[in-house]
Amino acid sequence: MMLPKLFGKSRERRATVLASLILLQALCALFFIGDVITDLGQGEHLDDLHLALEALAAVALIGGVVFLMVELRRLLSRLGDMDAGLRVARGQMVQVMDRFFDDWNLTESERDVAMMILKGLDNATIAQVRNTAPGTVRAQGTRIYAKSGAHGRAQFLSLFMEELMCGDFDAAPGADGTP
Amino acid sequence: MSLPSEQTAGGRESARDVAVWDPLVRLIHWSLALTILLNGAITDDESKLHEWVGYVALALVGIRLVWAVCGPKNARFGTFPPSPARAVTYVRAVMTGDRSVHLSHNPLGALMVYNLWLTVIAIGVTGYMMTTIRFFGTEWVEEAHELIFNWLVLSVALHVAGVAFDTWRTGINLVRSMVVGRKRIPRGARRK
Repeated sequence: MMLPKLFGKSRERRATVLASLILLQALCALFFIGDVITDLGQGEHLDDLHLALEALAAVALIGGVVFLMVELRRLLSRLGDMDAGLRVARGQMVQVMDRFFDDWNLTESERDVAMMILKGLDNATIAQVRNTAPGTVRAQGTRIYAKSGAHGRAQFLSLFMEELMCGDFDAAPGADGTP
Repeated sequence: MSLPSEQTAGGRESARDVAVWDPLVRLIHWSLALTILLNGAITDDESKLHEWVGYVALALVGIRLVWAVCGPKNARFGTFPPSPARAVTYVRAVMTGDRSVHLSHNPLGALMVYNLWLTVIAIGVTGYMMTTIRFFGTEWVEEAHELIFNWLVLSVALHVAGVAFDTWRTGINLVRSMVVGRKRIPRGARRK
């Protein structure tokens, strides 16, 4: 859950850096263009080495700006796609979890605990959050694993991982260990 | 251990963040505000610095106009066309208590955006004219420069008032969205 967030942050920072570069480079380009135009207006000619170099710099800077703008647009649309994809995946994942939980006939408190297990909380933390004894959480965990047919936390998690990776969210829950 | 609280802070139930302003739009916005502040209040009107800050302001608007043609959706002209008719419809809707959220500029705000850009361009052009031999010392150019600057001050004041009003009306902090780029849309709000 942390990874995609960090990933998104670094891309956002990249987009900001790109935007700053575009701004600075565009300002430089406009400066050179203005300079070339005033020089031409004062009767200088493009075959003058100084002026030719300035014109070349202006052209190069404009090319750079255009390239960076295209790059920034691509990065922004990729950021948008990732955002939408994550949102869809999250929404679907919640649906999948609900269907699993329904299938296994989990009680309300077992659902809570199962959700926290999926989020990676350990028993002590779950007990703290739910204001119960660690022993209760351990018992609830055992019952959840039994109902889902998993042999423990790792296998329980893998039931959901598998669902995510097979790519078909409409597939029926694959656990056959309903009591 | 912070996970449960993070879930509510992430606001899955109450609100969600939508990216609206790309970094280039934001940088240009605040840079332009800075140049206006500098030239309006700080630099000496006769100084070279005043001229250069003015050129930078012109360039910023120019870059923004290019980005409004080839940038991402929310930055483009097509998303906020300058349409008085739409602005009137919008004002009516606001007065009848419509609270739908606009991801880009709202139609009234869009008019202000075009007004601000044109005003800055007009100030820049008259300012440049004063530096040319042809118009140097011409009375009407100088008067136009100052008059249009007064119009800019009024526009900025209205702009800030509009932002404050819309923030109060929709509950979306617009200043924050121009800094971080995202609008926090309350759950259930109608989007446009």
